[in-house]
Amino acid sequence: MCSLFSSVHLKYTKRDYDTINKILKGNMKMIKRRQFLIFGTLLGVSPYLKAKEFNVFEKAFQEVEATIAGVQEHLFPRASKLPSAKKMNSTQFVFETMTHKSFDKDIREFVLDGAKELISRENGHFVAMSSVDKEKALRAYEETNYGSSWLSRIMTLTMEGMFCDPIYGSNVKEAGWKALHSFGGQPRPDARYLDV
Amino acid sequence: MYDVVVIGSGASGGAVAYTLCKAGYKVVMLEKGRLVKRDEFSKDELAYCRRDLVTPNLFDEYHTIEEKVDGKWEITPTYESGWSFWNGNIVGGSSNLMSGMLHRLHPDDFRLKSKYGEIKGANVVDWPITYDDLEPYYDLTEELVGVSGHYEKHKYEPPRSRTNFTQPPTNENAVVKLIDKSCKALGITSLVTPRAVLSRDKGDRNACYYSNFCGSYGCSSGAKSSSREALIKPALATGNLTLLTNTHVKSLHTSQKDEVDYAVVVDTITGKERHIKAKLFVVAAQAHESARLLFNSANKYHPEGLANSSGELGKNLLFSGGGSGQGELHKESLKEIKFEDLMQTGLFINRSVLDWYFVDHWWDGTFKGGSVEFMFEHQNIISRARKDNYKNAKLVWGKDLGDRVVKRFTEQKSVRFEIFNDWLPNDNCFVALDKTYKDKYGMPVGKLRLEGHPQDIKVGKYIAKKCERILEEMGAKNIYSSVTSSASQNLVAGGCRFGNDPKTSVLNKYCQAHDVSNLFVADASFMPTGGSVAYTWTIYANAFRVADHIVSILSRG
Repeated sequence: MCSLFSSVHLKYTKRDYDTINKILKGNMKMIKRRQFLIFGTLLGVSPYLKAKEFNVFEKAFQEVEATIAGVQEHLFPRASKLPSAKKMNSTQFVFETMTHKSFDKDIREFVLDGAKELISRENGHFVAMSSVDKEKALRAYEETNYGSSWLSRIMTLTMEGMFCDPIYGSNVKEAGWKALHSFGGQPRPDARYLDV
Repeated sequence: MYDVVVIGSGASGGAVAYTLCKAGYKVVMLEKGRLVKRDEFSKDELAYCRRDLVTPNLFDEYHTIEEKVDGKWEITPTYESGWSFWNGNIVGGSSNLMSGMLHRLHPDDFRLKSKYGEIKGANVVDWPITYDDLEPYYDLTEELVGVSGHYEKHKYEPPRSRTNFTQPPTNENAVVKLIDKSCKALGITSLVTPRAVLSRDKGDRNACYYSNFCGSYGCSSGAKSSSREALIKPALATGNLTLLTNTHVKSLHTSQKDEVDYAVVVDTITGKERHIKAKLFVVAAQAHESARLLFNSANKYHPEGLANSSGELGKNLLFSGGGSGQGELHKESLKEIKFEDLMQTGLFINRSVLDWYFVDHWWDGTFKGGSVEFMFEHQNIISRARKDNYKNAKLVWGKDLGDRVVKRFTEQKSVRFEIFNDWLPNDNCFVALDKTYKDKYGMPVGKLRLEGHPQDIKVGKYIAKKCERILEEMGAKNIYSSVTSSASQNLVAGGCRFGNDPKTSVLNKYCQAHDVSNLFVADASFMPTGGSVAYTWTIYANAFRVADHIVSILSRG
């Protein structure tokens, strides 16, 4: 049932909203998980990555940060009816949300790997390309199932930031909500990730 | 020592705890999740709907799902598929997060076999109780827990002892005019949906404030009739309820053949284990988990699982058949109502159709049908922005994406229908223990084998076609529907059938285990057939009925 990167999994076309939300999270179901430890650990104290784990992730993210930013800015450019990724601090949002415990660890890995793959496909030139060349590079990447799934994931993550509560650092001054004339409900969160 | 241990704090656990505490008994409620209070709930889409912060991380706790792929049964752990079967692990359970579109079962749902006969490949049986046994408790739920609505006579509306609802319906969007008119034009009756949301203040619970984000979210006014608001809070106020959160029950211990003497629990934060004793134990952990707990409580007296001498434990697991459909109302072609009125947020649709609950037609035949609910597409902003951004199988991005998404939000609104029909009980839909996979506490996880009966699809498609006609009549565009035999993980029942014969059922008609006299299962597990509506009202009602019986046992000493 887990075909690697098919786009929408029909399993989740049932009626309930939660499930539909899950479909719209993108392709997380399709990513084949790595071997899983049957006996996990109990909840730690911090909901964020532990210091050592964090440092490793931060370093890995820094290596692909410019590429992810370049892709986000191409998908969400200036002069669109939606706010630009640049103005919405979209890359910082992606980094921060992926360091929270609630973020799926396989997707975290996938975001990094997909960016590395793009870097290597374009021999390290992607970031410096013109908009026209970026379009070509990304459309070519999209031809592969892997690339298509990764781009979809980047779009999902960018939209998560742009349209979630501004408390998460993107959707600056509610610009995302204003563009859609749709606003988050009351009460709004006063902390990220239900931290009481 | 407590009088009663209640395992789980959802609709059924709440109803049992409330009744017992009010009657003066000492109850301890064990809830795996934490307490999120009314004023801690927010409408944080990222937290509630995209990061699943109120259900366990699937890498820690999960199920394995067995489905037939190319004729072979294949097992996939849910941490791999992401298909979570957790529905809200906080105090009050998934009743915090429901949309609350509720119906009572119909009297014929209690006697499906006598009414419609056998269906090949389906294990249909009559219930050991009738609608009349449950009616007073449906009524109690309506009043005490809070169901707002308006009664209109209809041939498939079950009889009721109270003339009308004590709370009027919640406020409705103008689109109901269009729905009602379109239904009428097609000879279909649209009814007001009873909703587990208060339209008026009730005690310390405030009326609905039309936040526009109801289903999937906790309620910040107390209007939603969750177990936490309606039952656990007043139960705590009696002083008789001890609520232990972050307390997961691993197993029930029986030293004597026919009595549970303690629950083995683990503190989910410290990992520390301890035993909790009581005279009587009520399992209310949601159907698939209740059965798993009994399997995990197997011992030398009950080698196949606690209360499983019949071999029926875990079998005939039920979901809801049917599916859903949707159509878009566009600004430029909208009939009957003003676009600004359609776009007004927060108001409910509150419309259902029961015309096809039973079908008896010269051409279509005679069969059990189902119910339909109408609603707006969920208002979640991220999910609406993210959906369908493909054109010719390519992602739309850049300026085109901006145009597309903004148009979707500002020039149209989608109306949905959801179909609920019986998920026929069958031999290939059950929960058992997985022999390989264990959760973070070292206990075998529940393995769910999932297969629907072909009749469920037939019925769902029959109704979907009629609903699509309603959307067409309304002038909706891009109408589609999807009817699947995929299990609705948020609507789960069965697995501990109740019945009069201990050889063919797990529980007696009071939901007391045939084999273990001080053990009850109060959630939807008891249902031998599921009916064609969401389970919640029946879960509340039946748990009140069970609780009354427990009180009568305890009062005898």
